[in-house]
Amino acid sequence: MSDAVRTHGLVKRYGQQVAVAGVDLVVPSGSFAGLVGPNGAGKTTTLSMITGLLRPDGGSAEVDGFHVWRDPIEVKARIGVLPEGLRLFERLSGRELLVYNGRLRGLPKADVEQRADELLAVMDLTGAAGKLVVDYSTGMRKKIGLAAALLHNPSVLFLDEPFEGVDPVSANTLTEVLRRFTASGSTVIFSSHVMDLVERLCDWVSVMSAGQIVAQGPLADVRGDRPSLNQAFLELVGSSSTEGGQSLSWLGSGLPEAGER
Amino acid sequence: MTTVVLFAQLKLRLMAGNLRGDLQRKIGFVFTLVAAAGLAALGFFLMSLLRLAPPDIASSLVIVAFSAFLFGWMVVPLMAFGLDDTLDPAKLSLFPLGTRRLAIGMFTASVTGVWPAAMLIVMFGALVGLASGAGGWLLGVPAVLVQFALCVVTSRLITTALSSALRSRRGRDALALAALFVVLLAQLPNLLMNGGSGDPAAMLHRMAAVLRWTPPGMLAHAIADGGALALAEVVSGALLVVLLAWLWIKVLGRALVTSDASTQAAAVRGESGLADRFLPDGPLAAVVTKELKYIRREPRYRMGWFSALLVTVVLSFSLTRTGGGVAGLPILLTSLAALLIAMQSANAFGVDGRSLWMNAVAFGSERGLATDLAGRHLAGALIAVPLLGVVAVATGLLTGHPAAILPAMLAGWGALGIGFGVGSVVSVVLPYTMPERMNAFSGAAPGQGGVAFASSMGSMMGIALLTLPFVVPLLLGFTWVCVLAPCYGLLMETLGRRLAARIGFARTPELLAAVSKPTGPVV
Repeated sequence: MSDAVRTHGLVKRYGQQVAVAGVDLVVPSGSFAGLVGPNGAGKTTTLSMITGLLRPDGGSAEVDGFHVWRDPIEVKARIGVLPEGLRLFERLSGRELLVYNGRLRGLPKADVEQRADELLAVMDLTGAAGKLVVDYSTGMRKKIGLAAALLHNPSVLFLDEPFEGVDPVSANTLTEVLRRFTASGSTVIFSSHVMDLVERLCDWVSVMSAGQIVAQGPLADVRGDRPSLNQAFLELVGSSSTEGGQSLSWLGSGLPEAGER
Repeated sequence: MTTVVLFAQLKLRLMAGNLRGDLQRKIGFVFTLVAAAGLAALGFFLMSLLRLAPPDIASSLVIVAFSAFLFGWMVVPLMAFGLDDTLDPAKLSLFPLGTRRLAIGMFTASVTGVWPAAMLIVMFGALVGLASGAGGWLLGVPAVLVQFALCVVTSRLITTALSSALRSRRGRDALALAALFVVLLAQLPNLLMNGGSGDPAAMLHRMAAVLRWTPPGMLAHAIADGGALALAEVVSGALLVVLLAWLWIKVLGRALVTSDASTQAAAVRGESGLADRFLPDGPLAAVVTKELKYIRREPRYRMGWFSALLVTVVLSFSLTRTGGGVAGLPILLTSLAALLIAMQSANAFGVDGRSLWMNAVAFGSERGLATDLAGRHLAGALIAVPLLGVVAVATGLLTGHPAAILPAMLAGWGALGIGFGVGSVVSVVLPYTMPERMNAFSGAAPGQGGVAFASSMGSMMGIALLTLPFVVPLLLGFTWVCVLAPCYGLLMETLGRRLAARIGFARTPELLAAVSKPTGPVV
């Protein structure tokens, strides 16, 4: 099996702080991969560097065998991206946003419009297609962002926290679309810190901690003989269970503090 | 009383918290303090000097000034909405406070601050300048206090009544434009003065005569009068304050329990397809379509276009009045309008801001960026070219030089092309984040003020220098040069766009980072 994504010693520094300290990420083609790690582990930074949005201080990244920084034309035609932060072209309507994205990549207008309408229908956004993105809710933004990332039929999809702040119904729609996408042989890489979700969806897991990959491989291998991925994750990133029970002794007593009414 | 102290502290804490750790803001705050103290001192001094002026002029001036203060209090907080957390009742609605306590607290919060204090001092200056006799002094103090309370309560009533609208996206969009009309309004007296419609004293008296019976006018009159009529005026002013306060508390009570309706937006109008009619299908048409929509829908673009036009109109009026005899004036004015319009393209990616990644992941080569810039220029030109035509015709007719219309038009178009060319280079060399909410004090994210300044100065000088080769001969009377101006402009646009695409594509990540800076405490 070839690799959809392969990085060698990716490094990113912000002044003194090292955000990503030599990441060797490997994701096989056709996998539904989860990039997990605690907040500040460097997941977003890593994804930004692989998608060409952030210049690495060292190392290299390849998508489908093409060097991200030396061969941007090949790479950018192959990837779809949904970064964190959900910033889209706010003053376009959902449909206009999709059409703009498709045409920007050189697809004919008629094709783009057809694809956009189908995507809007699948994402349950047809009713909101004419509203400005600035008025969309978080779930709607994630869905329209995903639709925009899928529109040109990429072979590798990068999603940064796609399920954060999304209601269960929208999340279900998102996973359905993504499952169908990977079933056809395309690759999805998404970052998350919701272990249950990763365990449910992914067949490949990369665990990041403090700017490095600490474990990587098929889900079953990373989990090992532990009961859940969550357990494995906590052991890998070295979390100590908190014993701070005493300092919160006032919590949960139930009566509001007496005060000036 | 505890409420008063509590809210005064809250406001001071918010002000202090805003300054923490950021040198630029600290300097800004010190500047504000100095400015406010200076204005208070100067205002007090000038107002007290009115004692030396003829009594009728003095009282007319104070009447106008008091009305202007009230107007300022009505308008300025609307512009600052979202910048001051104590202005928005929704921010406080989760605290277990009764409406009355909340009202007292918010009143306290709005009188706590540098500018309210400065204004109070200036108004006491009016008391010194205007009060006559014991009655004037005796009634003057309550009159000033009532006027101050009137300002605060009215401003509170307005912001609270409009708070749900102001919190919505549409409300803020509308407000951004309203700010421009306030600027225009402020220019109006200036324009009228230039118009030479009578002497200033007569105009002042006419204005004062109208404003005399408004509440601030009555209070100002009370200080000067000091008799029984003054007493009645102060009492009625106070009653009005009480009435407005009661209204405000009612509105506040309702605003606290009314939900935010801002997400129930209507659909936008469909595509006009203008760009598709004359452009081949492809990325260029997509960019032009998007840009035309953005110019129509994005308040920052609308503000840019409106203010470019506004400055041109104001300058045209004042220059044609004073120097109507110069034959080259239409050429200069049209080129100036082109410069002002093209200046907006000097930070082309700033408005896209953090959404620029959508372009970045689509563009695999320089050509993508060049197409993007070309689309932006084409969309701008679609509006600017006819607009500059109108400016040329209007200025030509106004100055009485119809022969200058055609050269002016051609020169304007040439300047526009140069502006786009220079603008695209500056956009990739000196990009900066434009805050989502424009205000009068900063056009860039914190810490990028220097870049923004360099960007606008650089592009202005660049455009000015490059237009000299045809503007100077035109002004010297070589009219035939104007035929070359549009070609020269087009050439400059092409060169600038190519150069910008080369520089810009190589530094895409840096460009993205520069336009995606956080823009301060307001989200």
